[in-house]
Amino acid sequence: MKLELRNIKKNFGEKEILHGINFSVESGKALGLLGRNGAGKTTTIRIIMDVFHSSSGEVLLDGKKLIPSGDRFGYLPEERGMYPKKLVKEQLVYMALLRGMKKKDASASAEKWLDRLGVSEYKDRKLDTLSKGNQQKVQLAATLVGEPDIVILDEPFSGLDPVNSQILKDVIKELIAEGRIVIFSSHQMSYVEEFCEDIVMIDKGTIVLSGNLDEIKEEFGKGRKIISANNMDADALKTLIENDFDDLVKVISSDKHKVVVEVKAGVDQWSLVDRLKEKNVDIKAYGNYEPSLTDIFIDKAGKAEEEIKDDSENNKEVE
Amino acid sequence: MKNFKHVLNFELGNYFKAKAFIVSTIIICLLCAGLMFVPRIKDSFKSGGSSDGDGNGDDNKTIAAIYDEGKVIDDISPLEEYFPSVEFELYDTEAKLKENVENQTVKFGFVVHDADSFTYYVYNKSMSDDKQYIFSKYLAQVRREEFCRDNNISIEELSKLDDDTILFDQEVLGKDSESNYWYCYLLVVVIFMLIIMYGTSIASSVTNEKSNRSIEILITSTSSTSILFGKVIAAFIALIFQSGLIGISIFGSYQFNKEYFGGVVATMLDIPGDVLFIYAIFGIGGFLFYAFLYGALGALVSKIEDLNKSAGTAQMTITLVYVFVLANLTHIDSTLIKVLSFLPISSYSAMFARVAMGNVATWEVIVSAVILYASDIAMGILGAKIFRNSTLRYGNPIKLTAAFKNLKKAE
Repeated sequence: MKLELRNIKKNFGEKEILHGINFSVESGKALGLLGRNGAGKTTTIRIIMDVFHSSSGEVLLDGKKLIPSGDRFGYLPEERGMYPKKLVKEQLVYMALLRGMKKKDASASAEKWLDRLGVSEYKDRKLDTLSKGNQQKVQLAATLVGEPDIVILDEPFSGLDPVNSQILKDVIKELIAEGRIVIFSSHQMSYVEEFCEDIVMIDKGTIVLSGNLDEIKEEFGKGRKIISANNMDADALKTLIENDFDDLVKVISSDKHKVVVEVKAGVDQWSLVDRLKEKNVDIKAYGNYEPSLTDIFIDKAGKAEEEIKDDSENNKEVE
Repeated sequence: MKNFKHVLNFELGNYFKAKAFIVSTIIICLLCAGLMFVPRIKDSFKSGGSSDGDGNGDDNKTIAAIYDEGKVIDDISPLEEYFPSVEFELYDTEAKLKENVENQTVKFGFVVHDADSFTYYVYNKSMSDDKQYIFSKYLAQVRREEFCRDNNISIEELSKLDDDTILFDQEVLGKDSESNYWYCYLLVVVIFMLIIMYGTSIASSVTNEKSNRSIEILITSTSSTSILFGKVIAAFIALIFQSGLIGISIFGSYQFNKEYFGGVVATMLDIPGDVLFIYAIFGIGGFLFYAFLYGALGALVSKIEDLNKSAGTAQMTITLVYVFVLANLTHIDSTLIKVLSFLPISSYSAMFARVAMGNVATWEVIVSAVILYASDIAMGILGAKIFRNSTLRYGNPIKLTAAFKNLKKAE
């Protein structure tokens, strides 16, 4: 099974919000949809789910036009919503029936997911009598009760404590292992790194980065090194490198433990080590830089922000 | 519409599992059935001769006063016929009588100025107080007796001359507006109340789903047509169930106590079967029309407290139809009612009233019913589209005109 978005554009009034979103995901894989607030993640998800109609482009499932209510979709919207005054199991059965299950199967599936998520004891209670965390779990059970082939989770970890997050992580891993398609958006990069083979990073309605996560990390870390020293802190080391080694490397970032640099083209990476020794730097660590998704995200989102600032400043100058 | 059945079952559960719905139905049924026993209970009290303390049919005599200023009354004993439970005391001044009424030593009093005029004194006058009219009758009789004495004729001869009763028979070959008026009035009020009550309930249900955000799950699981039709038909079934039970309790209790009723109430409840049939046809059509409209209007707001702003349009239309039809019940063949009887917004009430009280051809009834039911289907589809387009628009209430414009844009 392959879910594909082709050149999706969306206008709200005169304003174009999505500027041509393309990506695809296959069975047994998870795709992380990343982006800052207002980037267009939820709008993209709502277009997949046919909550919004796209202004142009198409959403295909195995090459055919997607009909979410006709296919076996499980959807956890960003704005959680169920019936607060209804019994937990009653509304789960209702959701499963709407997803095309027979009543007997719907009841069994509701029991199964409530049990799996550790909230079966609340099945005969009204939703609003449960704690927020347990309501979140019931909401997730409602997403999965139809035994969907495609699971779309919009910010699934928001509001979950570490224990409940672990339960959700386990469930998502199971869904992937069972060969389902999982698409989820999140700000929490560690979760995306944990499950997703592929990522799509959206900023201001445009994809700024997409592809296989390992390849992206490798590409992003290429030619970059981390350096730390025993006899000086990271700030001092950064100042030294910026002042004395700008012919060899460019400082990318730093934190309180290390400095990340990019080795300039044609420079032997070991010549940097030699020069550092000459300056009496007691090297604690020197190695290949393996970027985290957070680093990539901040870098890409930051660049996009700078580009927007530059554009607006250029426009001002023109005016 | 493949999930219509599931939405319908779920929505029916919202009515039939709700304690408020069950308890209110039981209470209303009991109250209505109980009300039908009131004439019987009243009658049993009357025949038991109990006291109501008002000088009407009691054993404990009420004390009243009379001052015959004009010296026209020879004997006050005939007053007992007019005021059976009142003992009259004769006074010799108006001031004394007034003072005793004021300090409530006596309940009321009459000062007879002459054979043609008197003053009625009472401390607190109740709404049902008619003693002055009873006393007028008494005084008129005194005058008649005086006239008979003066002209040397008997009171029976005078009564015969007075009696202008002409015997006649009446056969209404068409509609009897006089006797149909009251049940027509009642049924117009009932359908008005049912549409407003259940329409608001449908709109609230939609707004609540928007407010608790369950709407996004619903519209990604099934079609908006299934959701809206499920809600409307569930409300309709609940309405039939609730009003059916209330109707059974009223009519059942009425049949049991029929002999104690008379006048307007009896006329209201003796509704011919064919009128009820037309009422049902147009009532159902009108209900469905407004129910779909209410469903769409519920989707135009995000908070239940804003619902009145959105549902006001429908509420106003229904109220105007109600007022126009009731105000024209006595002019049922007027042009206004004829026009209203073909419009889907008003035919549920106006055409029924015409059938019950006026002259209407069968083809007119059929055309009006076809227009109404075709409009129901159109409103159902349009309502579902407005519902679908408005469900994820949060914030300020959306105006109905803006919702129509959005529909055009979406198409």
